[in-house]
Amino acid sequence: MLKILYFGKLGELTQLREERVDVPNDINTIEALKSWLNTRHDLDCALSHPSIKTMIDQKLVHTNESIEGAQEIGFLPPVGGG
Amino acid sequence: MIIVSNTPFDAGERLNAFMEASQNAGAIASFIGRVRGEGGDTKSLYLESYADVTEQGIEDATKRAYARWPLTDILIIHRIGTLHAGEEIVLVATASEHRRAAFEACDFLMDYLKTEAIFWKKEITKSGSTWVEPRTQDYTDNKRWS
Repeated sequence: MLKILYFGKLGELTQLREERVDVPNDINTIEALKSWLNTRHDLDCALSHPSIKTMIDQKLVHTNESIEGAQEIGFLPPVGGG
Repeated sequence: MIIVSNTPFDAGERLNAFMEASQNAGAIASFIGRVRGEGGDTKSLYLESYADVTEQGIEDATKRAYARWPLTDILIIHRIGTLHAGEEIVLVATASEHRRAAFEACDFLMDYLKTEAIFWKKEITKSGSTWVEPRTQDYTDNKRWS
């Protein structure tokens, strides 16, 4: 089971803050996972927008990395506090 | 000290304690950010973080501040959860021997919190809610330090 975290507006779009999913065997990269989750939650490509950053096991990834062995994937819309 | 918490805090009290603990610093600079009240429109903010990832990012930013300025101490308190008009969102305080380092480090840390820290902020008004992203000016301000 892979833990998926949706932050900010993505949590509202999915109506989930987090979920645990059984990812199909042919989904093994970040981009494939995004496409699969976009469809699963009817997100109209929201996860694939260039402004959405991805963390694998709490580390930021900049390319279409493999999700093999990952425990937790976080999808992060543009950040900002203060 | 870095605190990310959903418990309200008293910025004045925290700042006094910071000053007490920084007896040898000749200069203390601080910034307090509060929830604005917008013309009677009942407003609250909702802030989310990514647990340890948020705190680790802030910790890394304080390390960059210590490397760049001769600071003796840093305090950062940042709220998450639901906040109402007038409540403190953030307190940054820096202590140093002289004022320039304290001012600049405080400014640097606020720019980091505004544009890079792992928070998401939703503004809630009578007319609806919006997730707030940094303004162009916030990103321009943050680039001053690179």
